[in-house]
Amino acid sequence: MAELEFERRLERLFAAPPNFADDEAFAVAVEKKLTRGWNLRRWIIGVAGLTGGVIGASQLIMSNFVHQVESASEGSTRLLQAGVQQLAPRAELLSTLPAGSSVVWIAGGMAVLAIGFVVTRVFEEF
Amino acid sequence: MTGDHSQRLTSRHDVELAALSAAGDRAAFGELVRRHGASVRGLLRRMGAPASEADDIAQDAFLVAFERVADFRGQGTFAAWVRKIAARQYLRRLQREKRIASLTAAEEIAGIAPAADTAGRIDLDDALRFLTAAERICVSMCYGAGLSHAEAADALNLPLGTVKSHVKRGLDKLRARLAPAENIQEGRRENG
Repeated sequence: MAELEFERRLERLFAAPPNFADDEAFAVAVEKKLTRGWNLRRWIIGVAGLTGGVIGASQLIMSNFVHQVESASEGSTRLLQAGVQQLAPRAELLSTLPAGSSVVWIAGGMAVLAIGFVVTRVFEEF
Repeated sequence: MTGDHSQRLTSRHDVELAALSAAGDRAAFGELVRRHGASVRGLLRRMGAPASEADDIAQDAFLVAFERVADFRGQGTFAAWVRKIAARQYLRRLQREKRIASLTAAEEIAGIAPAADTAGRIDLDDALRFLTAAERICVSMCYGAGLSHAEAADALNLPLGTVKSHVKRGLDKLRARLAPAENIQEGRRENG
């Protein structure tokens, strides 16, 4: 019993911190290190994203991807136009949409932006 | 704006601050460092680390804690959780620098007779000076960092029986040296 009491007392003694004159300076030093690490991480993510983007873009250009997407999107646009024309009598609103190949490009661009945003968030979180 | 935020943080509970820190709020984590920095630094010094090394390890421990703060779910206190991280960081450093074997084998004590009060009683920091390095580390790990004897043995790479006997001898020395609880201000004293 006395042994247990002594052990509890010892735990309390260890838990009670000594007073340090430079407590605030210590906290500031830790915060500075945290901020430095945070900024470094953001730079690394940014540089990695930029490098990946440049490599990806150059690969797309080299593989004649743009031309292939263009011809594919023209086919899709024709299908979309046919669909829209069928729906036009029922929903006039749909017929007012721009149905050129630019729609597909804009949608694709937005999808890439969304994916980029998600990837960035994932990197920031982990 | 930042001042308001800091002021609001001071009234928050540790668990709330930890949750904010896990969401990336560095100011919230700064508040936790303000609250528990002394406790972590104190433990490392009590384990036998020199002041500058203790502060260095304490900083590293808080950085590790920030990275892992999402793992802290409020079981036990935040201070105890960081103290455990800090104790392991200190041992890792001792092992990396191959100092641990000589420390745990050393039988001499710090040997400087601490100043006692008029009744010949001393506080924890002074009483710890009567322990060998191995006893001091083992006692600090078990009663300061909250590790079990088995965890301490594992971290120190020592047989469980050896750790138990270091703890036993350390406790006996502390019991003989420490003043009765009601007669001292437990643990609070000025340090540089």
